[in-house]
Amino acid sequence: MIPNVDDRLASVIRALTEVVLPHLPPEASLAQEQVQLSVGHLQILRAQLDALPGYEQEELADARALGQALASCSGGPETQAAQTALTAAVAAQGEQHRALLKAINEAIEALVRAVGADGDAASRGQLSATILKHEHARSQKDRQWFAPFGFDTL
Amino acid sequence: MNAPASREETHDMEAVHAKLLEKRRVSRTLPPYRAALNSEVVETLNRFFASEVPGSSVSDVRRVGGGASKEQFFFSLTAPGGDAERYILRMDPRAAITQTDRRREFEALKAFQGIVPAPEPIWLDAEGEHFGEPAVIMRTVNGVTKPSDAGLKVSGLGTSLGTDLRAKLRDQFIDNLIAVHALDWRTAHLPSFDVADGDPKQAARWSFNYWRDLWRADEGETRPIFALAEQWLADNLPDTAELVFTHGDYRTGNYLFDEASGRVTAILDWEMARIGDYHEDLGWVLMQIFGTFENGRFRASDLFEREEFITEYERRTGRSVNRRTLHYYDVMSSWKTYIIVAANGMAAARAQHNHQDVLLTFLATTGAMFADDLCRLLGQEVPS
Repeated sequence: MIPNVDDRLASVIRALTEVVLPHLPPEASLAQEQVQLSVGHLQILRAQLDALPGYEQEELADARALGQALASCSGGPETQAAQTALTAAVAAQGEQHRALLKAINEAIEALVRAVGADGDAASRGQLSATILKHEHARSQKDRQWFAPFGFDTL
Repeated sequence: MNAPASREETHDMEAVHAKLLEKRRVSRTLPPYRAALNSEVVETLNRFFASEVPGSSVSDVRRVGGGASKEQFFFSLTAPGGDAERYILRMDPRAAITQTDRRREFEALKAFQGIVPAPEPIWLDAEGEHFGEPAVIMRTVNGVTKPSDAGLKVSGLGTSLGTDLRAKLRDQFIDNLIAVHALDWRTAHLPSFDVADGDPKQAARWSFNYWRDLWRADEGETRPIFALAEQWLADNLPDTAELVFTHGDYRTGNYLFDEASGRVTAILDWEMARIGDYHEDLGWVLMQIFGTFENGRFRASDLFEREEFITEYERRTGRSVNRRTLHYYDVMSSWKTYIIVAANGMAAARAQHNHQDVLLTFLATTGAMFADDLCRLLGQEVPS
C-alpha cells in the first residue's frame, strides 16, 4: 500500500508541528494546546499501529477467559438467566472485536447484579475474587498500553 | 452488607443533581459545540455589561490556558470614572467532563469569602441567558497551580512541589480543608444545597445515585471491575456521623499559590461541593493520581503521606476518621474518577459538545489507572 498508514501519519505530524504550530499567534493558546495534544495522539497512534490488532484480540480473549471462569456462579432465576446470557456472549464469533468485547462485558455486569440479587453466598465470593484477579491482570496491560500518554507512574 | 435499596432510595438525590442529569440527557441530541472565539466573547461581554454596568468598557480579553472542564477568559472591566479591574469569565461548554451547576459554585464561593482564600464571585448567569450556557464571573487572583518548572503536566496530576514549597504549603493545605469542613452550613446562605438528613445513609446514597445515573446517562462502556465496584458501593453505603460542607475536588492543582512566598492565594474549583461526609473529601485527597511517589512512598497531593494526613486531620479537628468509612470513599473516589474520564469526558467528546475533545480523549487514557485502583482497593480487607 503506497502511501502506507505510517507514512501518512508521519506527514500529518510534520505538517502540524513544523507548519501549523509555528504560525499560530501567541494569544491562540487553546489552538496551540490542541495542536500539541493532536500531535501527541498521532505520535502514539503511529507507534502502536502495528500492535493494535493484536492488542484488541488479546483484550477479547481475556474477556472470554473471564466469562468462562465465571461459568460456575450459581443461584436463583436471575443468576441463572444472566449465566445463560454470558455463556452466549462468550461463544459469539465475528470480526467486530469491540462489539464482541462490549457484549461480554455487559453480560458480566448483568451477572454481577444478578449474583448480588439472588446468587449463592459462595458464588458472591467467587465472583468477586475471579473478577479482581482477571481485571488486575487486564488493567496492568491497559496501563502499559496507555503509559506513553504520560499520566501513569508505572 | 446493607439491605437492598428500595425504589425510592434508588432515585434519591439532590434536586440540583436530578436537574443536571435531565439536562445532560436532553442535550445529547443537540448539534456540535465549538470553542468560543475571542471576538464573540468580547461581543457577549460588552452586551452583558451594557446593562449590568452602563458606561463601562471591556478590554484585554484573553483565553485562560489549561483546565479540562470550562471555557475561561480573563478580561478587564473599566467602570465609568474607575480603574480597570481584572475578572475571569467561567462558562460551561455544552457538555463537560464534570456536569456541575454554576449557581452552586457561586453560592459556595460567596459563603467562603473571608473564611478561606477563594475568588470573589461577582456576576452569575445561572441559566445561560446572556452567555448561551451557564456562566460565572469572578475577580481574578494571582498565583500558580504548580511550580513553574513542573513541565507540561496537567495541574495536580503527579505534580511535584519540591521540598521548599512542600514545607510552606502543607499546613495551609490541611488547615484550609479543615476550615471548609468547619463552615456553619446551617446559617450560611446556600439555597441550592440540599441537606442529606433524612437518614444516616442518605449522604452517601445521594452521591452514589448521582454518579451512577451520570454513568448511565452517558452510556459508559462498562468493564467487570467497574460493575463489581458499583455493586459493592450500593451494598455498603456507610452512615454519616456528621454532615459538613465538602469541597468535592480538593487537591494540589485546585489551589493557587504565590511561588515566591508559598502562600495559598485561592482555593479553586468548588463545583463539586456539597453538604456531605468529610470522609468523602479525605478519600479524594488521598487518591494516588493526585499525589506523587518517591522511592515507593506515596504522598497525597505531594504534601502528606497517607497515615500522616489522616492523623493530622484527626489531631487538628478532634474528629475521628472511621477507617471503614474512609475505605468506602476511597473506592467511591476511584469509581467517580473512572466515570469522569471514561464516561463523562468521552460522551462529551463523542457528541462533539466540548471545546477540547482531543484533551478529553487524552484524559480518558487514565481510566486504566482507576480500574487498577479499584482492583487494589476492593482486594483489600475492609477495615473493621
